[in-house]
Amino acid sequence: MKRRINPDKCVACSTCVVQCPVAEVTSKFLGPRMLGPASERFRMLNAGEDDSLSYCANCKNCDISCPQGVEVSNINMLARAEYCRENRPSFRDWILAHGELEAKLVSYFPSFLVNFGMANPISKQILDMVGVSKKADLPKFASKQFPAMFKEYKQPENLTKRVVFYPGCFIKAYAPQTGMDLVWLLNKAGYKVEYPEVFCCCGTPLYTNGFEADARKNAVKNLEELAAWRKAGIPVLSLCPSCQLMFKSEIPAFFPDLAENMESTALDDAMEFILGCINRGELDISEADTSPLDIIYHAPCHLRAQGIGFPGLDILRLLPGVHAVNADAGCCGISGSYGFKKEKYDIGMAIGSKLFDTIKDSGIRQVATECGTCKVQIIHGTGNPCDHPLTILRRRLDKKTTK
Amino acid sequence: MNRKTDIVVVGSGLAGMSAALTAAQSGKKVTLLTHGAGTLAISSGCIDVLGYLNGVRVADPFESMATLPAEHPYSLIGGAETVREAIDWLKSVCRKGGIDMAHAAEEGNHTLITVMGTLKPSYLCPDSFNPDCLKDVHRAAVVTVENMKDVHPGLIIDQLHRYAELSDKEFMEAVLPCPIEHAHRNITPLDIARHVETPEGMKWLEKSLMPYAKLYPVLLLPPICGMKHSQQIWNQLCSALKVKIIEMVSIPPGVAGLRMRDVLKKALNAAGVYMVESAEVVRAEVEEGRCKTVHTLTASGEDAWEADSFIIATGGLLSGGISTAPGKAWESIFQLSLDAPADTEAWSSPDIFGSSFFASMGVKVNHELKPLNGEGNVCLDNVRFAGRVLGGYDFAAEKSGNGVALATGRYAGMLAGKE
Ligand SMILES: Cc1cc2nc3c(=O)[nH]c(=O)nc-3n(C[C@H](O)[C@H](O)[C@H](O)COP(=O)(O)OP(=O)(O)OC[C@H]3O[C@@H](n4cnc5c(N)ncnc54)[C@H](O)[C@@H]3O)c2cc1C
Ligand code: SF4
Ligand code: SF4
Repeated sequence: MKRRINPDKCVACSTCVVQCPVAEVTSKFLGPRMLGPASERFRMLNAGEDDSLSYCANCKNCDISCPQGVEVSNINMLARAEYCRENRPSFRDWILAHGELEAKLVSYFPSFLVNFGMANPISKQILDMVGVSKKADLPKFASKQFPAMFKEYKQPENLTKRVVFYPGCFIKAYAPQTGMDLVWLLNKAGYKVEYPEVFCCCGTPLYTNGFEADARKNAVKNLEELAAWRKAGIPVLSLCPSCQLMFKSEIPAFFPDLAENMESTALDDAMEFILGCINRGELDISEADTSPLDIIYHAPCHLRAQGIGFPGLDILRLLPGVHAVNADAGCCGISGSYGFKKEKYDIGMAIGSKLFDTIKDSGIRQVATECGTCKVQIIHGTGNPCDHPLTILRRRLDKKTTK
Repeated sequence: MNRKTDIVVVGSGLAGMSAALTAAQSGKKVTLLTHGAGTLAISSGCIDVLGYLNGVRVADPFESMATLPAEHPYSLIGGAETVREAIDWLKSVCRKGGIDMAHAAEEGNHTLITVMGTLKPSYLCPDSFNPDCLKDVHRAAVVTVENMKDVHPGLIIDQLHRYAELSDKEFMEAVLPCPIEHAHRNITPLDIARHVETPEGMKWLEKSLMPYAKLYPVLLLPPICGMKHSQQIWNQLCSALKVKIIEMVSIPPGVAGLRMRDVLKKALNAAGVYMVESAEVVRAEVEEGRCKTVHTLTASGEDAWEADSFIIATGGLLSGGISTAPGKAWESIFQLSLDAPADTEAWSSPDIFGSSFFASMGVKVNHELKPLNGEGNVCLDNVRFAGRVLGGYDFAAEKSGNGVALATGRYAGMLAGKE
């Protein structure tokens, strides 16, 4: 089924062109206006695809800046899906898209072996040959992935309220501790956390790398599970801005038939939820560590695209002793798996350089951001420590964690 | 979610950013909601204050301001004194952000040069656009970059020669080799400006201009002298090459507007303004003539933003501040009706540069920029309007777009900041 977004809302003002981070650093990219609404008219005539389609990082800055509400990035992603139906994506793109499956495979092996296997010069060379930049720092698999960690964790008894956690594949495989930090906070606020193992990758890496059918399969599974919890009136929380965006706006755009019967396909934002817990007095932060801490916060593009503000930053600013500034320096350049690709690595680093410089110039060590891959890129680009705002919150509240 | 703050500003054009920054500087907690990046991002960044009055070019915009009708935004906010203060304020904000803004050498407007070869009156421009130095010389080179489709020196020179004051000048065409390899798209001044921001780009520009600098005392360039460091780059080029460089006003992307927007955005962040993008305000809750909350549309429902007062700087038809249907026009958030002629034909003018309802429709306000109902009474006591969403002026015919946006935005921010 071909799905089209009407390009005629575009008035060709070029605002998106001046705000697109990829167009900013490379003229190899046609740019949002031309690749999106303008080319769409040619696509309707089956006039072929532009060579630079793969350069769009789906970072959404075009949509954020467009005064007319044109869904430029979705036009581009639908075009990519259509193109990839006829032209199979590369093996490299398969690897980067199917991180969840790989994580499942590697979970049978000890992580130090796997990570050594991935990080050693020979493997890096092989990855480089298939198109994964050897200059990139790929995220490391956790020694224990989230499902196993969660299973072993004893939640306090007698919690009456319930919430569901949707971890997404990054937290599942690479950052399970962030997920556990949320579980800890929710428990402290009086909520028992459910984690249904049927929840799978939201499909962002699959769709943006051209694996539409796989993304659809995941969407079917996830929405079914989400609908069941919805019906039971239990919130389903996510920590990851990209998963949130996929559920709330990309699934309805990419697979409208799946979203049709649901009033909303959105997950709840875990940061908004925790902020609510603090405001309602369920989560007491008066006992938090008050030692002075400067933090520089990076807002992921996929959070900015949601128009809900920065609940993670709001939480940090409520903490006694914490002084949190907003870096406000645009895209970090990673866009999921984009910046790991050999031909895109330099583009990603050039895009991120403004953020890296802003962090360095601030003189602040501790960086905070919600997105897992933004974090990887920030650490790679600055060498500074970078954590999820809720991890920092837990550290300030949990007397047992040693900083 | 429901969030509370002192002041909510809607719109991140020049009006909204000026309002938000002013209010924040007076110590208020400010949230700026915006859906779209605003016109400044693509415009020239020159501040037109008043170029024409009833079709006649004005010599001094501030002198002419006194003769504007009472419902003109400038008249409402106190005329020349208020506008001058706003201009001085913007100059200081820009200076802190690294851009020096220039007045014309003599009282009154600059006559800026555009990449179409036309002359355009404007009051305040970045130093690098100041064309005053052209008056003292007889010869100048008009420079473009290979593959830059929108800038044709031949056309520019032909056009410039039609103006009496320039007809006897000797202009020469110069085409610089394109420094960007394998470009997959048409090159714009913004692409080159971003390249010149890099050390090798700067070197390239200096080297390529050198031969022309030896022959001509003045070089006219598209706006390509860098981005964040444009002022330094321009200074350095002028002194190293011993020439005067004039950047010409470009069609979108206008480059200098983006430079200014980046400066303002940084200032907003430093002043603690909480800026939320992708936040389209779709409606407001009003109780007894006071706005309680404005509501943004998100994919999972509505968010409410509560404040003591609100500043609406949502722009005109193109930016979404004003909505229309045949025979009807209204302000988009509060649905304030604008007096539209019932006959839609009468909205436009056969003279495309003439004044029209399309260009002048907007919200009627009092001297505090609060909206008025049909009887002329304030209908929303804690809401102010600023910028292109206002009625009572025709920015296109008058050439007063950024001037009104800046002055009314600043004024609205000042009044709200004092409450
Ligand atoms: C191409 C171009 C070039 C120009 N060049 C010049 C120039 O060189 N000099 C000059 O003086 N004037 C110029 N003008 C005119 C001038 O730019 C405008 O008059 C002025 O910028 C208006 O500013 P504003 O802040 O009122 O509105 P805008 O810049 O239009 O900003 C409105 C903002 O509100 C947002 N918005 C709208 N509705 C909503 C909503 N419901 N919820 C949230 N956000 C919303 C928009 O997305 C936008 O961010 C130019 C105009 C154009 C179109
Ligand atoms: S997509 Fe939007 S921002 Fe881009 S040119 Fe079209 S109207 Fe302008
Ligand atoms: S999604 Fe990002 S990279 Fe793609 S066109 Fe839009 S702004 Fe550019």
